[in-house]
Amino acid sequence: MSLVADLISILLNGLQQGAIYILLAVGLSIILGTLEFVNFAHGALYIIGAYVGLYVAQGLVVSEGYLAEAGFSDLGLGMGFIVGMIVVALVVFVLGLLFERFIARAFYDRPDTDQILVTFGLAIIVQEILRVSLGSTSQPVNQPTWASGSVPIPGVAISEWRIYIILITALLVGIVYALVEYTDFGLVVRAGTMDDEMVRLLGIKLSRPYIIVFGIGAALAGVAGLVAGPLSPINPTAGTDILVPAFVTVVIGGVGSIRGAVAAGTILGITQAALIQTQIGTYNLAPWSQVGIYAIAAIILLVRPEGLLGEEVDTA
Amino acid sequence: MSEDYELRTDGGAAPATGEDAASANETEQATSRVPGLGGDEGRIIGLTALAVLLFPFLFAEAPVISDIIQGYAGLTTLILIWGIFAMGYDLLHGFTGLLSFGHAAFWGAGGMAAGLLVEYAGMNLPLVLVVVGTIVGVLLAWLIGFLSLRRGGIYFAILTLAFGQMIYFTIFGPAGPITGGEDGLLLTIGDLFGVIPLNAGVPVLTPLGFIPSWLYLIVGIFVVISVAVAYRVLNSPYGLIFKAIRENEQRAEFVGLNVWRYKLMAFVLSGAFAGFAGALHTIYNGAASASAFYWIVSGDVVIMSILGGVGTLFGAFLGAGVYLYMSNILETFVGTLWHVMLGLLFVVVVWLFPGGIWGGIRALRDLITDLIGGGGSEPEAATDGGEPGARAPADSSSDGGDGQ
Repeated sequence: MSLVADLISILLNGLQQGAIYILLAVGLSIILGTLEFVNFAHGALYIIGAYVGLYVAQGLVVSEGYLAEAGFSDLGLGMGFIVGMIVVALVVFVLGLLFERFIARAFYDRPDTDQILVTFGLAIIVQEILRVSLGSTSQPVNQPTWASGSVPIPGVAISEWRIYIILITALLVGIVYALVEYTDFGLVVRAGTMDDEMVRLLGIKLSRPYIIVFGIGAALAGVAGLVAGPLSPINPTAGTDILVPAFVTVVIGGVGSIRGAVAAGTILGITQAALIQTQIGTYNLAPWSQVGIYAIAAIILLVRPEGLLGEEVDTA
Repeated sequence: MSEDYELRTDGGAAPATGEDAASANETEQATSRVPGLGGDEGRIIGLTALAVLLFPFLFAEAPVISDIIQGYAGLTTLILIWGIFAMGYDLLHGFTGLLSFGHAAFWGAGGMAAGLLVEYAGMNLPLVLVVVGTIVGVLLAWLIGFLSLRRGGIYFAILTLAFGQMIYFTIFGPAGPITGGEDGLLLTIGDLFGVIPLNAGVPVLTPLGFIPSWLYLIVGIFVVISVAVAYRVLNSPYGLIFKAIRENEQRAEFVGLNVWRYKLMAFVLSGAFAGFAGALHTIYNGAASASAFYWIVSGDVVIMSILGGVGTLFGAFLGAGVYLYMSNILETFVGTLWHVMLGLLFVVVVWLFPGGIWGGIRALRDLITDLIGGGGSEPEAATDGGEPGARAPADSSSDGGDGQ
């Protein structure tokens, strides 16, 4: 492989890995930025999205857990990825609304440590309910047939699906960005972030924009769970595994900044991909890939504690 | 006012019985603050020692009770070890108001340092392992605390989480060939002082149903020492500053205290307990594994300290007991469902009973003394003075750390 091909491959793999972090981080970040709510259950929405998507798009093979004991071993609708993605977005959006209304809202006036704790507890409940009902075996997810080829660049062995992940992420994040930056809805949300009392005094009811922000953030997490599926088999603990890098992306991007999340996710993704694919002599750097993203994050935060594109906002 | 009451007494994590008689005495001591082994401290240590002595009997040997709870002696040692970890954690979260999600790193590092010593240096003396584990916990906590305390609140939580995960992946990946990676290290732990096998029973006491093994005895002595140290620190002027920071960080800063330094010391102190307990855990298990570094282990200790009661020394042991009881004994009846139940219990406690189990016991005690004793302002202060009042200010204090 030539050097150029290596670099292209690192770039594409990095962007794809970064895309997953970005999808999660944008949702976390807008919820944290506007509602000042710390959601440790975001990973749970990711894993719910992954399972719902698998169920709708393809099928679940349940060999252990309560569902298997109850006689349901082969579940699935097999309706394809596109339908799966739409259903996941809707289902997790609604879950997000319910979560905001019945759980998060009760914690807006409580310390952020309480928010962390209660959502952490909920994340455990979701993870363990999945484990109890579906078992802890990993579920393989197939790439959609229309994206099962590989990229037509000589010397670069990357599946087309990774490109689709980058495109889907770009599209969704672009829509959310436009929504927040250029619509009246976004104006109200941003104004509420700066001074919600003033906005309320102007006669605008903030509870509806806020609950929708929560739903959008949740839907992004759900879609992230679905699109990441074909690259690594899903299991109930995947949500807790992905939560930490997602939060790190938010913090180094700057809380509340969508552009910051995109920048941070890209940096982390490319760092990870570069370490995975680099070899010095016979020593492969792959084991350092996860260490690397936290090291990069630590360095960025030591230099810029407010994050790449963050302002010194009073969110803590 | 309830807050004043809180400041004076919550360090006095006295067992539920008989604190009332001493509470006036305690108040006096708090104002005059004479160091030394006062009556109150001696009483706490004595009661801890008594509880440690009776615990295995009540849990595993006593006729009716242990038939109902189905306890077994081996678990009591584990509960005490996790209890030390949770108590050290509570020094940071409960008393200083800092929520760390990186304590698995210190627990894991203490355990792994002990494991590496046994595996590669043939150092097999349990007491040496414990000392080394503590030192490693201190050094690592110093480093991570130094880096994480640049920011407060959620940033602090995320930074500790990130540094903890960085260490986890280092131990797991690049250092895997040395640390045993996924499998960990299987160890043969030496005898105490080179002559007493740790798992053997203690003459006279074990046949009677007390003190199941030498290991339990050692761990029990460490528990008493840990409680004494923690109690001493918290009731010294130094420890009062921890509480002052929890109550209102800005105000502490304004009276001229170097808040950052005290927070770092609280972090290091709790890291020391974590490393110490981690080394004990390695000795208990005869194994050290990289999985002890995973961030969910930090979550476990958070759960324990909150279930037991935030800002109460003894609550940590109760919390550890409930957690391990569910994961070891309830698990045999309900299978993996225990984890769902634990999650629900945790959410309910965070949501509705921020005082945890110990807070509940306190409220109950105050209710009873109120019914019997009739009057006094104390019960009213303590029923709500448990934790909610104490925890709310954590919010206002949480962003104050950014300045450093």
